[in-house]
Amino acid sequence: MRFPLNLITLALAGASGTLLAADFSVGAANTAKVPVDGYQCKSCISSDGLRGNVGVSLGVNDLDDIHAGNALGTDRDGVIGGINADVQGQGNNGYRLKAEAHRLGMANGSGSLGLGKDGRYHLNLDYRAITTYDQGDVQTALWHNDGTLVPSAEPRFLDLNLERHKASLGFELKDALFDTYVKYSREQKTGHQSASLMSPRPVNFALPVDASTDGLKAGVALKGEQWLLDVGYQGSLYRNDIQSLDLLTPQLYGVYSAAPDNEAHRLSLAGQLREDSTVMTGRVAAGRMLQDDALVPMFGNPLQNWDGQVDTLDANLAIHSTLGSRLRLGAKVDYSDRDNQSSVWDFNQGLSGLSFDALSGGFEQNLPLDIERTGVKLDASYRLGSGYRLDGGYERKDTSRSYGEREDTHDDRAWLGVKLAPLSSLSARLELGVGSRGGSDYEANGLTSSEDNTLLRKYHLADRERQDAKLALNWTATDWLSVDVNGYFARDDYDETQIGLNLSRDSGVDVNLNLHPTDSLTAYLFAGQQWIRTDMTAGRNGAVAWQADIADDFINLGGGASFSGLLDGRLTLGADYLFANSRSDGYRSLELPQPDGDYYSYQHSAGIYADYALSAQMALKLAYRYERYYDTDDARVSINGVPGLITLGESDHNYNAHQIMLTFSYLLN
Amino acid sequence: MTRFLSVITCNNALNMFVFIGGLILNDIVDMSHSQYQRGVKMIKNALFFLLLGVGVFFSSISQADPWKEMPSEQLEKTLSDKFHGGEYSSKGADSCLACHKKSDAVMALFDGVHGDMNNPQSPMAGLQCEACHGPMGKHNRGGKEPMISFGADSSLDAASQNSVCLGCHQSTELMSWHGSAHNLDEVACASCHKVHAAKDPAFDKLAINASCTACHTKEGADLHKRSSHPFKWDQMTCIDCHNPHGAPGEAALKQFSVNDTCFECHSEKRGPFLWEHAPVTENCANCHNPHGGVNESLTKARVPQLCQQCHADDGHGSRVDAGQSAFNAGKSCLNCHSQVHGSNHPAGKMLAR
Repeated sequence: MRFPLNLITLALAGASGTLLAADFSVGAANTAKVPVDGYQCKSCISSDGLRGNVGVSLGVNDLDDIHAGNALGTDRDGVIGGINADVQGQGNNGYRLKAEAHRLGMANGSGSLGLGKDGRYHLNLDYRAITTYDQGDVQTALWHNDGTLVPSAEPRFLDLNLERHKASLGFELKDALFDTYVKYSREQKTGHQSASLMSPRPVNFALPVDASTDGLKAGVALKGEQWLLDVGYQGSLYRNDIQSLDLLTPQLYGVYSAAPDNEAHRLSLAGQLREDSTVMTGRVAAGRMLQDDALVPMFGNPLQNWDGQVDTLDANLAIHSTLGSRLRLGAKVDYSDRDNQSSVWDFNQGLSGLSFDALSGGFEQNLPLDIERTGVKLDASYRLGSGYRLDGGYERKDTSRSYGEREDTHDDRAWLGVKLAPLSSLSARLELGVGSRGGSDYEANGLTSSEDNTLLRKYHLADRERQDAKLALNWTATDWLSVDVNGYFARDDYDETQIGLNLSRDSGVDVNLNLHPTDSLTAYLFAGQQWIRTDMTAGRNGAVAWQADIADDFINLGGGASFSGLLDGRLTLGADYLFANSRSDGYRSLELPQPDGDYYSYQHSAGIYADYALSAQMALKLAYRYERYYDTDDARVSINGVPGLITLGESDHNYNAHQIMLTFSYLLN
Repeated sequence: MTRFLSVITCNNALNMFVFIGGLILNDIVDMSHSQYQRGVKMIKNALFFLLLGVGVFFSSISQADPWKEMPSEQLEKTLSDKFHGGEYSSKGADSCLACHKKSDAVMALFDGVHGDMNNPQSPMAGLQCEACHGPMGKHNRGGKEPMISFGADSSLDAASQNSVCLGCHQSTELMSWHGSAHNLDEVACASCHKVHAAKDPAFDKLAINASCTACHTKEGADLHKRSSHPFKWDQMTCIDCHNPHGAPGEAALKQFSVNDTCFECHSEKRGPFLWEHAPVTENCANCHNPHGGVNESLTKARVPQLCQQCHADDGHGSRVDAGQSAFNAGKSCLNCHSQVHGSNHPAGKMLAR
């Protein structure tokens, strides 16, 4: 009962006063009386020179599953090491240097070096290594040898991991009137990933990865006092060194097509106009994606190279204005067009063994998909008083697509939010939304869906009613304790779907406590849980054959503390802990009622550290990390565990891993 | 007096703790009633003084601007009048540092870009401290007259705080700020950025994710699910994909669309492919949650259910096998349809080659 009264009171009380967004920019300052000659700064400190720290880490990993390398930075079991740095340098003539490194030299590490003159130019060199460890010692029945998959009498053991090394070089040149920038990057990917082919039975195998992506971004931005114009180019070239694969026995050519080399280019023009309290921004971009990699030569393939080409056109225009002291309005329109200009040919599908149409003799045409989208967004925000705000909005997206079961769809959503701060220490925000998707008639027997049941609705095209809500509470109990509570709920009802995804609900809550009781002690605690429920049905012979209820649950707990007040402030002690549990349970009814097999994972991550300042210039940090990880998936079976299928083996994760790391840092202050 | 009263009101809670403590003592030690009473009194006195000390200590560390309790409207009007009055100090930064020099937090300004007097675009090369904090006016007479202040402790609304920053910082990256979710939600620049520091934490790759997920807790939790991008180890950062200052596309993505964002790292899935999979071409997020999921490969459901939500029709897609089979074991649907992101094989219409 107090809130409405407060809202009205505040709204009336504030009606006559200025309230929102004073302009304190330096350009609006009244400098008529500034005593320029008297300005000085004898007390200012010159920070010329280098600051920060450089260090080296040396440690030991104890692990028996490469998956632990994701958390520990490398899958190496034994001695590990890396370089760390966080250095800022400043010269007395405006030159600035920045050098950073984090575990540089390890499989997951990064480094960057920046040089430049403030406000004039800047050169940046970045390097980042990301290695994703999936599974170790998988058993592949097919191994890759120069473009040919060779069956092996005994399965070969390989690690599934993907190593990415990305380096980039960027340069910026600035002036009062313009900014120019150019950035080149190259990423190299190597490793093995899981793949599968049919020969004629399905065989899972480890597919080698050896590819690179080159990127270039460049542009120039011209600036005025109240306007900005940016012309830019963005390009990307993907090159795959693993070509389409043949199978040695039985001898099959082109049994697995590789990801084709491709490239994308885009030119964009963006601008902004500012006039008093109104800002207008717009962007238009034209792009082209190309692919003309060699096709596998085979009977029924009329081409050596297919000329794949997709032209894109994107445009946005947005206007935001503050009317008076309280009301803010915004409007935005979006347009996006994907025009697939690729050539269309007949290709023989009969040889795949999966699709044979007696009418066409096994020949099918490729279907270049066109997609056109338009969107409108409107939003308004009204400030009722300090800490009290009412906002709302409406958005609509229209999508037209070719060769789809549904040619046109439109998504509408309206939302309303309110922010309340009944106390200076307590604030809350509630947002409610409703949405709906509709569109043209659903053509279940369209060109691409000759097999579709007329009752089936694909969920990204189906009619849908959506309700969602979010609640956020922030309570600053004292200067040193704050509590955040976030809750959310969303319900998607595919009300016209009899077969397919029928209903999904997503709800959850997160609670976070942050404590900063003293300058030397900080601590945090968090807990969260999410529930996702999905109902789906499948059909046969024009009727529902079975239905499934899927329950996804996620629990996340943790906490940590850091205390820096020991031994005259020379020693900092800290600890962190995290628990995460992901679970998905499915149950099917009507036909062969049964639960799906186990599918869950959990992890405990814990770490403690001691950071000791040996002197004003040197510090030593000793850290210990512990990782406990377990996951299981009923689909993972032994290599020949299922008749007619060869897998990569039963490879659930179940490990304890440890890391002790000693880091020596030299402080440059 | 306030501190004393707050301690007095804690007495009920104190009694409860003492009672419980006494019961435990009574259980542990076989003591007489008088011994028990003396023990209780001793514990009570010790806890009283402990709480008193803690209360005084925490109160003493709380430092806020003298004008913190001033109503926001009054504060803004006062500051606005001061700003337009233009009563700047006589000696610039020296006038400010006469009092604030002892503060390490203030002096940390000179470690960063904003304190560099050699940079002609730095505030210190112009109006110095008053470029951001506004004209001094009579603030130096006791420090009670408000100045423009920033951050969580500032009573000034976010838009007014941000007007200071936006006065100088206009660029292509900031072009969409006015329509951004952060601006509409009244997030202050100082909520993420720190000017009085050698290094702005918003530019620290190891601190960015923690900064974002402090508010975006649902996404922060997603990062710890069974599968996710390597955010939780800071190998990737939120700003690899999103521009926190807003962007013309959806969800403040730096690229033009969700798919363009994914292609930045997954360019092998860009194609165009001879045989396309329509929902993939439309939106990667039809099947994947980029922040993480309880299923492998960040998918919204496990296979085969994910595929069956669109293909559970009269064909073999509606199969449901008891136990493990070639239909649901291994890579399930992807045992055969391995090229779900698109196939470049002439006979790849069914995305199987």
